Amino acid sequence: MKSVYIHIPFCDNICSYCDFNKFYYNQNLVDEYLNSLKNEIKTFYTGELINTIYIGGGTPSSLTIKQLEKLFNIINIFNKSDDFEFTIECNPENMNVEKINLLKENNVNRVSIGVQSFNKNILKLLNRKHSKNQVIELINNLNDIGINNINIDMMFGINIENIKTLDEDLDIISKLNIKHISYYSLILEENTMLYINKYIEQDEDTNFKHYEYICNKLKELGYNHYEISNFSKKGYKSKHNLTYWNNNEYYGFGCGAHGFINNIRYENTRSLTKYINKEYKLNSEEMTKKINMENEIMLGLRKLSGINKNDFYKKYNIDIYEIFSIKKYINNKTMIDDGNNVYINPKYIYVSNEILVGLLESSE
Amino acid sequence: MKQDKIRNFSIIAHIDHGKSTLADRILESTGTVSQREMKEQLLDSMDLERERGITIKLNAVQLNYKYNNEDYVLHLIDTPGHVDFTYEVSRSLAACEGALLVVDAAQGIEAQTLANLYLAMENDLTIIPVINKIDLPNADIEKVKRELKDTLGFDEDEIILTSAKTGEGIKELLDAIVERIEPPKGNINNKTRALIFDSVFDPYRGAIMLVRIMDGKISSRDKIKMMNTKASYDVVELGINSPKEVKKESLVCGEVGWISASIKSISDVKVGDTITLDNNEADEALPGYQPMKPMVFCGIYPIESNKYTLLRDALDKLKLNDASLIYEPETSEALGFGYRCGFLGLLHLEIIQERIEREFKIDLIATSPSVIYNVTLTNGQKIVVDSPTKLPEKQKIALIEEPYIKTNIFVPTEYIGPVMELCQDKRGNYINMDYIDKTRVNIHYEIPLSEIVYDFFDRLKSSTKGYASFDYEIVGYKPSDLVRMDILLNGEIVDALSIIVHKDFAYVRGKKVVEKLREIIPRQMFEVPIQATIGNKVIARTDIKAMRKNVLAKCYGGDITRKRKLLEKQKEGKKKMKMIGSVEIPSEAFLSVLSMDEK
Repeated sequence: MKSVYIHIPFCDNICSYCDFNKFYYNQNLVDEYLNSLKNEIKTFYTGELINTIYIGGGTPSSLTIKQLEKLFNIINIFNKSDDFEFTIECNPENMNVEKINLLKENNVNRVSIGVQSFNKNILKLLNRKHSKNQVIELINNLNDIGINNINIDMMFGINIENIKTLDEDLDIISKLNIKHISYYSLILEENTMLYINKYIEQDEDTNFKHYEYICNKLKELGYNHYEISNFSKKGYKSKHNLTYWNNNEYYGFGCGAHGFINNIRYENTRSLTKYINKEYKLNSEEMTKKINMENEIMLGLRKLSGINKNDFYKKYNIDIYEIFSIKKYINNKTMIDDGNNVYINPKYIYVSNEILVGLLESSE
Repeated sequence: MKQDKIRNFSIIAHIDHGKSTLADRILESTGTVSQREMKEQLLDSMDLERERGITIKLNAVQLNYKYNNEDYVLHLIDTPGHVDFTYEVSRSLAACEGALLVVDAAQGIEAQTLANLYLAMENDLTIIPVINKIDLPNADIEKVKRELKDTLGFDEDEIILTSAKTGEGIKELLDAIVERIEPPKGNINNKTRALIFDSVFDPYRGAIMLVRIMDGKISSRDKIKMMNTKASYDVVELGINSPKEVKKESLVCGEVGWISASIKSISDVKVGDTITLDNNEADEALPGYQPMKPMVFCGIYPIESNKYTLLRDALDKLKLNDASLIYEPETSEALGFGYRCGFLGLLHLEIIQERIEREFKIDLIATSPSVIYNVTLTNGQKIVVDSPTKLPEKQKIALIEEPYIKTNIFVPTEYIGPVMELCQDKRGNYINMDYIDKTRVNIHYEIPLSEIVYDFFDRLKSSTKGYASFDYEIVGYKPSDLVRMDILLNGEIVDALSIIVHKDFAYVRGKKVVEKLREIIPRQMFEVPIQATIGNKVIARTDIKAMRKNVLAKCYGGDITRKRKLLEKQKEGKKKMKMIGSVEIPSEAFLSVLSMDEK
């Protein structure tokens, strides 16, 4: 079973923190893009059972009803499993009841809403165009129409936030009764409006304090902290994202998409012109066993439950302790072995790179 | 060549006053080197010398010059321009009868001008004062002339004006060399005595000695003997430099040249030693010989421990060309296997370190330099300590003595205050002050050498806006109330960071060192206390806070390349760190205890 990621690189507004692959919405381009996307999927998809589909962006919800219909038509190609998860990313300001109905009709069963914050000043700094009420209305409508597996993407680590603004956001979240929350710390990337405007990053100590605060609050609200930045109600982990974190294979379709199929990791062109001209692949690389094991570590330890030792052995036919110096980190208590799984001590999950660098070095 | 047609001379100058360029111009205008062959500053053959604008190794070149229709042979003996190499300079000067004292027309007399002049005078040389760089727009020839007259006592008509850049005055200078400098003394019929003033290493021929024949002669069939080391060798070949090597049958009294005698190691050749003939030994060696004495010591360790043997090879190779470099294996609990190395001074240390890193591609950690302490134990035994870790426990020490230097600090009068403050800060004892003219003074202090090792140059430069020039001579050992200060990371002593300090200054130093380390050492997974201690007493403490964040919050749409790149970058960064216990320390931390900013 495999997963599918489909990238829709169009936005009608550019957020100040985003350096992801995206273009201003343009009617004609979108149609040409969807044609090429259809061609790409037809060319490369080999008919296996698909477990999860994730339409991300960009802003998939910026497409018109007609374009969305066309997109869903393309997606019909996939041979879906019985319990498949089908997620689409939405921005509150370009959703309406008609679009939600369309999603429902096309078997979309999970919606991920780009919220980031409910605070006006923060939304302004991030150049987001929606209001708190639009988010609440969208969530209500989704629930009414029967899509209740809802994620909201939240953001923290913004220099103007404080415990009070966090509390206000978390208070609103507590009333929304949503199933899944991604709470990402802002990453300042080059080639973003924030960077150009010389945004000053929040300091390390405050950032960690806020992270801890959020983790604790969400735990109180009954969410399970299962990945560095992800929280879910019982039974509502993101199956699609778990594909990534379990180092399982997935198709990546669309401009700038990444995929991992038949042991080859590939990256699609980021040029819209090339993509429309059906020049899809930018580069691809076959994974060695060593790189796969390293990726398994790098991705698997993002999960609070870490890596199952038996699964690792089954996959690579070698004991995980033989490859990586996990012992060292168990000894200094930054990692834990509970008998079945090895994982990063939650206290140190926010400095996980430090551990990963050490583990990767030990495999050399 | 008749002895009375030979002139042997050196050029002495402060750094950057144009010594090497002047030498180049002399080579060129005597036709010794054609313009086509001329590289800038031909005599400085090492890249590092060229870059730093200083001369490290000496060279001697034979020039032919026609004066009043008669042929003369001039030997130009180049000297290193830095205080670290004073002994080498003094031996080069001893091989000459005269010296050109070069002063920059814009800058006037500086500290090394004077130090070198004194060395020349000690050797009874005829001095020709030269004002160089007269082509500079900011040249103040009259002022520099006054300095030469008033401070150094030259007559106005002795002074020769040159521009090594344009060639102006070079002929007058060459004429003056022939007219004023005496021909070599000594007698070809006396028993042979030749002064070794330098040596170079040739991988095929071994150590090659540069010599001045003071008495008698040496032929290519002679067996020679070193009068101080008592070693004997058969001469293989000998000759002169023009500047290329030219073989000759013999070198005679008054001449300057090279001798090769299958000497395997440069350490067997002692600069200042006297060569005589094995079968007809001179009665007395030439005066002035001193064994090479390293003044500054430090530990040198490879960052990657497996490069230890490469480091040994590098030191062996450098030693071939540099007899003054000494080293012996040393083990540090913190840094592993390395070498304790002795240097003539700080510049020498820096040069060797840089050459190892550059020519042998070994990343190094150098520990804080130490001087040599003479320690008398309570049981009366006297020991020599060249490393803080070798200092015995306080209870066992009756007396510690440390080397002192006397300074020449040339500075405009408006900076007298800051310079005195600095010297006072460095435990200096004021001696006196000479006025060069109304605007400049030469300030004399006695200061412990160990204080010069610590950031003295930098602070002198910054407190005088770069106007001060500085030189020193060693004046001997004096008792001091010294203690060893240890640095503890995570409760463990890092031996490589220990230093010896004066008791009264320990508290301030300790505070600065721990602060500096806190700045330099990045946050670690766990909080790391940094302590400075004397004996069991903690005199300063601070903490490196635990790292709070090192995470990639999001893996976008299955793109794992970003994360891999980030981790690769961090991995590379870690390779530049040294793991000490559980603490990762950047290599620069070990020398940082030296360069303490004033706050």
